[in-house]
Amino acid sequence: MKLRPMAALGLVALCAALTAPSVPVAAAGDTIVFGSAVSLTGSLTKEGHLTQEGYDFWKSYVNAHGGLKVGGKSYKVDIKYYDDESKAATAASLAERLIDQDHVNFILGPYGSGTAFTVAQMVERKKIPMVEGNGAAEKIFSQGFKYTFAVLSPAPRYLEGILDVAHSQKPAAQSVAITAASDPFSQEVAAGAAAWATAHGMKVVYNNKYPENATDVSSIVSAVKAANPDVILNAGHLQDALLVHKGLKEQNVQARAYGYSVGPDTPDFTGSLGKDANFVFGGAQWSDAVKYRADRPGFYATAKEYAKAFDAVYHHRPDYHDAESTATCLAFQYALQDAGSLDPDKVRDALAKLDVTTFYGILKFDSRGMNVYKPMVTNQIQNGKLVTVWPRGLAEAKVEYPTPPWGQR
Amino acid sequence: MTTASASAAMRKVSLAGIMGNRGALWAAVILMLLLLLVPVALPGYQTLFRTILMYVALAYGWNTIGGYTGYVSFGNVTFFGLGAYCSALLSAHGVNNLFADVALAVVVNAAFAALVGLPILRLKGHYFGIATLGVALAITDIVGNLDAFGGTGGLALKTVDEAHFSIYYYAAWLVTAGAIGATFLVARSKLGYAFVALRENEEAAAVLGIAPTRYKIVAWAISAAIAGAAGAVFAPANGFVDPSIAFAEDANVFPIVMTILGGIGTVAGPFIGAIILSGVNELLARWFIKVHTLFFGAVIVAVVLLLPRGLVWLFGLRGGARTWLKSLAAYKA
Amino acid sequence: MHLLAQDLVNGILAGGILAVVALGFSLVWGIMNIINLAHGAFVMLGAYVTWQLFSSFHVDPFLSLPVSFAVLFTLGYLIQRFLINWVARAPVLTTFLLTFGLSLLVVNVALLIWTGDTKGVTTAYSGTNFTVAGVTVPWAKLYTLLAALLITGVMQLWLTRSKTGRAIRATAMDIGAAQLSGVRVAHIYAIVFGLGAGLAGVAGTLISLSYSLNPSMGQPFLIKAFVVCVLGGLGSVEGALVGGLTYGIVEAFASQIDVTIGTQHISGTGLQDAVALVVLLIVLIVRPRGIMGRATA
Repeated sequence: MKLRPMAALGLVALCAALTAPSVPVAAAGDTIVFGSAVSLTGSLTKEGHLTQEGYDFWKSYVNAHGGLKVGGKSYKVDIKYYDDESKAATAASLAERLIDQDHVNFILGPYGSGTAFTVAQMVERKKIPMVEGNGAAEKIFSQGFKYTFAVLSPAPRYLEGILDVAHSQKPAAQSVAITAASDPFSQEVAAGAAAWATAHGMKVVYNNKYPENATDVSSIVSAVKAANPDVILNAGHLQDALLVHKGLKEQNVQARAYGYSVGPDTPDFTGSLGKDANFVFGGAQWSDAVKYRADRPGFYATAKEYAKAFDAVYHHRPDYHDAESTATCLAFQYALQDAGSLDPDKVRDALAKLDVTTFYGILKFDSRGMNVYKPMVTNQIQNGKLVTVWPRGLAEAKVEYPTPPWGQR
Repeated sequence: MTTASASAAMRKVSLAGIMGNRGALWAAVILMLLLLLVPVALPGYQTLFRTILMYVALAYGWNTIGGYTGYVSFGNVTFFGLGAYCSALLSAHGVNNLFADVALAVVVNAAFAALVGLPILRLKGHYFGIATLGVALAITDIVGNLDAFGGTGGLALKTVDEAHFSIYYYAAWLVTAGAIGATFLVARSKLGYAFVALRENEEAAAVLGIAPTRYKIVAWAISAAIAGAAGAVFAPANGFVDPSIAFAEDANVFPIVMTILGGIGTVAGPFIGAIILSGVNELLARWFIKVHTLFFGAVIVAVVLLLPRGLVWLFGLRGGARTWLKSLAAYKA
Repeated sequence: MHLLAQDLVNGILAGGILAVVALGFSLVWGIMNIINLAHGAFVMLGAYVTWQLFSSFHVDPFLSLPVSFAVLFTLGYLIQRFLINWVARAPVLTTFLLTFGLSLLVVNVALLIWTGDTKGVTTAYSGTNFTVAGVTVPWAKLYTLLAALLITGVMQLWLTRSKTGRAIRATAMDIGAAQLSGVRVAHIYAIVFGLGAGLAGVAGTLISLSYSLNPSMGQPFLIKAFVVCVLGGLGSVEGALVGGLTYGIVEAFASQIDVTIGTQHISGTGLQDAVALVVLLIVLIVRPRGIMGRATA
């Protein structure tokens, strides 16, 4: 056996395999195919997994209930996934692959603001609508994109609720320290919180950022301690939220309230911290305490029904990542019905005009494609359980405030 | 040994080393020409192949310093990133011209490399490698803290519409072809021999009249210019640049991996390595959505064990499987 | 003033962990000339060993130190003996590539076993602390530092006094001469690689106390290990310790920087890494082989 010709042959075969048309996901004609690049490996695996759960849950529901009726015809739905490896640069070529090779009809967003930005560029060029529920940075929506819509409230709103809670309790919180990861989403969250605090007469005594994959934040914690704030806020992600909270305990930093933009919602937070997780506030896009009632049929009408059905399938309470991902799909569901067609431009126009209330809240987009109409909620971990405490109308329990000293939580 | 016979001997040794072998070279040239057809024949694969071309260019850029002079840089992504930011900053000031982008990136990066190279190219071996990594990480951090560069929020670039989008592909192709051409020319020139001489024995080379620092700086500047040009054409096509995209770990590690896998210090090696590695990665990502990275790791391990000198040598093998198996024993301790 | 003292303590505590992370990496690199990109993955495995013992059998993290060392040592020994040894004579970058592949493999196998969920090791003493002269010191981190110092000391003694340790150092200096004097090089190499992995495992255990676990947690530590081991001087035990402490302290003090030039706000906390890396570059320019580096390799 000569190896040289084999090598050449192998190279040719590889090129051929690369350009071979991919097998269609399902027989075209009676299936609407969505495509999504989510993080299945890498540092955002957990978040990517939640996103996928939210999408898949909707898919099973729709297919089990006779599919989607669009323009008098019933369609099954399918979702084609790729793994973006938690890397923003990878997502662009995956989106192109989904659109040009897999010929998906529509794009469901990836996890993360940087990734969503890259994919938004691609769908804009290809004129395929994307709805996303996991990239809240306003920057994405200041570019004049016409084909990208987000069902979530913008990043600057994440921590406002926590400040509002702490500011209206007795003794009222007067000062706040903010630490933020350096990524664009967290920076916007921090800026939003600082602006709210200043506007409401609170003093921002510390506001600084740390590198995205910091392995040690003890110096920042020391600086926060020196500033002696009433409220300590962190804008970041699960890993840094845990690092900061452990650091606060290690240096015995006592505040009246502790709040995180991302973290407290996931069971991992309580699982990792145990009792120290108690009294912590978390900003959330949604919780199963919200009291919206869907004004159109076609899916679970209330958050409670959604949560119950979801729990039966995935064996955990849906967190807001799950819900916002499902809501992403719902935006498409209703826009498709309104458009009565699978034509990308007609669906885009229907999305732009969409105004519907779902279990998740209102789905309505401003001229930039952002859902500024849905309020955020604020949760608190009380006795190991996540309960919604703000806005007041939705509160499941009374706010526990101020936070007792470390060791007594 | 006289100077003349020494350089003659060196010439003989390094020709084989530099050129790789004819078979691989031809394969590279033919593939490169075929790649020119992608926008017409396979328009939906442009981003994929543009990314592959980008890695090919980066691999060639890295090979100039890491392969030829043997100074292993772990920080060439610095130049890719700065190149990307050159385009982004030009775009922010209303200049959207690929020629201007590449020209600025080449000049800025060659100058930056020379400046940084002066102190750090005095370092030997691994110490140089880590110094370059340090430069890359520090620049990433600094760019992310500069408002003029958009901080961590990044900068958006003006992108042409779908109908004209293939200009980015052709631009990437030109940069890559330029990188390969430059490597080919350098490899055959006195400069190339000087680089290899430095790699094989810096002291001896100095005796032969090759000023080490000057040649090393030239090699690094060429390397930086190539990486910068690759970044300059990547940014407008991507439409958005932030520190995590411009200074991505993949853009740092993959070119090194591809060059070694293909065959380090050869003309065809980086190309073969980049094509095969990207291709395999792509296929695995398509077939095994959840475990593709696992398989990708396994493929790399297997290739290293079976072809320790790189894929290029597969194309140069004269004998059959038995000769090859025998040759493997030579690498065992 | 308090804050500066606190930062010094923070830096030393953080640096101790970095020193252990860098130690194994530095030994393998310095002695075997292998740049082990799987080191971060080994750190992650060590952390998971600890977590598994802690969550399944309530084993205290410090008691799991020998276990994670043993598990990772065995893994490292086998990897060297049966994989890396195949290409031991190939150029240095070949093994670099091999360990890159291994790292992807290990991280993704871990992802299959433990999923991407974030996990934590929270003991009764997690977060407890004491205050001296206004400086707060967390017990767990203090124990971690002591463990790091102890491990470094034991390593140094073992390398200089024991027979195997001497054989290792002889191999590093002159492999041919070592072979001639009866050293089984393949075995020695496997021991060194096992040691490197074992130390990574130990580092993982220590990290699990303050950091949270997920399969890609090792990466930032790997990058720091690169810098730390060169900062101190490659292949030496004291180099890793000095490098780690220097890096930790510089980072901690860097967080104090807070300047505004025009509209550009320069905050040290965002630039901690950059400051530490600039220090690295300056050190290398002044001392091309690191702080503790000697003239010869």
